Amino acid sequence: MAVRRIEVRERVMAKNDELAADIRRRLGTHGVTSLNLVSSPGSGKTTLLERTLQELGPELRMAVVTGDVQTENDAERLARWTERLVHAVVTGGACHLDARQVGTALHELELADLDLVFVENVGNLVCPASWDLGETAKVVVFSVTEGEDKPLKYPKMFRVARHAVINKTDLLPYVPFDVDKAVAFAREVNPGLEFFFTSALTGEGMESWYDFLRSHARAPARA
Amino acid sequence: MSLALEICRITEEQVGRETLPRVREVGLLVGEDSGVEPENLEFCLQALLDHPPFEGARVAMSLDPGDDLRVTYLEVDDGGSTH
Repeated sequence: MAVRRIEVRERVMAKNDELAADIRRRLGTHGVTSLNLVSSPGSGKTTLLERTLQELGPELRMAVVTGDVQTENDAERLARWTERLVHAVVTGGACHLDARQVGTALHELELADLDLVFVENVGNLVCPASWDLGETAKVVVFSVTEGEDKPLKYPKMFRVARHAVINKTDLLPYVPFDVDKAVAFAREVNPGLEFFFTSALTGEGMESWYDFLRSHARAPARA
Repeated sequence: MSLALEICRITEEQVGRETLPRVREVGLLVGEDSGVEPENLEFCLQALLDHPPFEGARVAMSLDPGDDLRVTYLEVDDGGSTH
């Protein structure tokens, strides 16, 4: 038996990072801010985007790349509010979006006509943390129906995110979620994390999220 | 799991699809600060390597203090008689 050893030394993320750098260059050329929305399933990413597109649509030119794995449901909901919607090609069962999929999806958009791109990642707090999609920043969404210890359970995600949206705040009177504790846990993992508290359903708290989007859409490099 | 799939993709890129059944060992370097749980990655990767097109390649992991995550080497059985 002749066993041959091949030296590789390849970083696991090398190919993805190269494609992500290319996306960043393309977006940068056109001054487009890109936000990679990550969360566990059911935290309200699609509802947050629906409301954002509806209410901020008249002001900002926004596009969405969505990565729903098995259905067209998210895309159908978002298509009501924007014509700039691209469905990333995600093979069944995949747990994250990668830079190749996002790079391909962005070819469907006229970047020169955009202020902001949202990438709605696959609902999963583990895998998407490892994948750079060429975004300006990752925004982690988590809802008050989840445990406030999510940041401690998924520290990598909260470490790589720059902003956090605590969503479904309209349900706070009915659930034992402790907002201060959640923020403290998240800051333990990432002291610089910037928070928004929203109910995408009722619209409560959305204005500060919009202010953030407005400011970054006008100064993409700072997001 | 996504990282395990990416490691399989790198392996295929290195040796070619037809050689995958003859891969015997996949050598990895896992940094302690890479955000990867070594046991978890090993479990996911081994599950993939136990199924076609692989035929039971082993995972050989070495830990490192940094934040690196790499495929370091591949061992491929080129067949022939034992010496």
